[in-house]
Amino acid sequence: MRNDTLNVIGVYTKTIMKAWFQYKVDAVLRSLAVFLREATGIIVIYFTLLKFDSLNGWNMYEMFFLFSLLFLTYGIMILFFTGLRDFGRTVRDGSFDRFILRPRGLLFQIIFVNADWFAAIGHGGLGLVLFLISAGKVGVSWNLGLALYYIVTILGGVLIQGAIFLFLATLNIYLMETNSLKELFYWNMRKFAGYPISVFHKSVQALLIYVVPFAFVNYFPCQFLLRKEDMGQYPEIFMYMTPFIGVGMFAVAYLFWKYSIRFYKSSGN
Amino acid sequence: MNLAPYMAYFKKSFLNRSAYRFDHIMSIFSNCLRMFIFWEIYKALYGGRQEIDGVTMSMVTTNFVLSMGLDAVFYINDYFLPDKIGNGSITTELLRPMSFKGRMIAENMGNAVFNLLFRFAPAFVVACLLIGILPPASPLMLVLFVVSAVLGYGVLWTISFAVQMTAFWLLNVWSMTTIKNVFVNVLSGTMIPLWFMPDWMEGVLKFTPFSSIYFTPIQIYLGQLEPGEIAIKCAIQLLWIGVIYVVGDILWKCGQKKLVVQGG
Repeated sequence: MRNDTLNVIGVYTKTIMKAWFQYKVDAVLRSLAVFLREATGIIVIYFTLLKFDSLNGWNMYEMFFLFSLLFLTYGIMILFFTGLRDFGRTVRDGSFDRFILRPRGLLFQIIFVNADWFAAIGHGGLGLVLFLISAGKVGVSWNLGLALYYIVTILGGVLIQGAIFLFLATLNIYLMETNSLKELFYWNMRKFAGYPISVFHKSVQALLIYVVPFAFVNYFPCQFLLRKEDMGQYPEIFMYMTPFIGVGMFAVAYLFWKYSIRFYKSSGN
Repeated sequence: MNLAPYMAYFKKSFLNRSAYRFDHIMSIFSNCLRMFIFWEIYKALYGGRQEIDGVTMSMVTTNFVLSMGLDAVFYINDYFLPDKIGNGSITTELLRPMSFKGRMIAENMGNAVFNLLFRFAPAFVVACLLIGILPPASPLMLVLFVVSAVLGYGVLWTISFAVQMTAFWLLNVWSMTTIKNVFVNVLSGTMIPLWFMPDWMEGVLKFTPFSSIYFTPIQIYLGQLEPGEIAIKCAIQLLWIGVIYVVGDILWKCGQKKLVVQGG
């Protein structure tokens, strides 16, 4: 690491903030729109559980608590990995070639040259609101140990989703278009992840545990804190694996990236 | 009025959609998946109970299959006008010897027919095979369902029309459109059957157009409404189409004047 690295990150961050908050009214409206769009599912849960009281033993606050981890981790993740989300476009319009010419690591640049602040505020803000609403009402007696567990879980969840983004971004080197794959493996799987996975068919559960491990982002950590009945059908150890899966997946995705980047061919002329 | 140019745009948008096959298959898959998620959740919520407040699980299923099916057909390009204002082509559009609004309708209809054939039909078959759906209450109700669904499309179209008009004043209508979609998604019954809304929400819903979009046709399909009620509900649909269209049209006229000022 060079000694001016922090400097470079600082300059990038300043530029990003300037760019995203150029039009203040628009910035506020956009963040609000993301917030509300993501809140749609929450509002639906709220109305549904007003009527039905609980879903597989999870009451409204426990559901909010489960959802909050999903949004908090995404809000943090997107600050770092916007570049990976939009990597397909970067490759297609040739601006990735500019990155190659600069005297800095490629992944370093992808991570620090852009950050979708609207998504971060929208998702992260919603996650925070849900956490504040639910944390005191789900019967967890918070202490230092649990707080630490929660923080480590968030970091693990960030890494798991970051690894999925990195993996999908790397595929861009081989395939020109991966948006549909992202839709399929990330966004569609995420739709399931807001609910206790025990609700779903066994095949969907297997997907969420072993293929796109969203279950470790929020479901199993919540089980550690809440100890709901439906945990009985899964191995106890799943509740402690989030950080390890996060680090492991990210390491594998990073190696895949390192290996694949040698084959990069510019799409430009 | 000569309909030929509108038909040409209708055809054009239909053919345009046929070009992106993979994208298309993915969107069918997403639709089915959403249906499946809600079905699983409601199965868990019902937990083997026959009915809740007189609503059976198969009614809930039918509600989801039909509302999401209609939702797939009622795809409206919310950026039709905003895009044209954004890139300036609105000026040449207005010079054409045809109604811009007519063209908007024609292109959207092309999309809707495409969706009906290639998105609704396959998703519907999959849903019927995997999940199952109640038959219509009677052949007459099926016909009235189609009529009411067309009116429901009208309501949704005018809402989109009115929201698009804000493009004359706002730099970016993405936020407005997104917020509009939140209201439509929550309040129209595609994500929570409106039977299960709390009483106070039902009171609020009466004063909004959202339940006219999908829920009215579905109630007719299930035979939940008396003939008199059907007439009233369809009249309400027509009323909303009229009211929202007039609002959108006023914005459209003001917007055009403002556009002239900008251009001058």
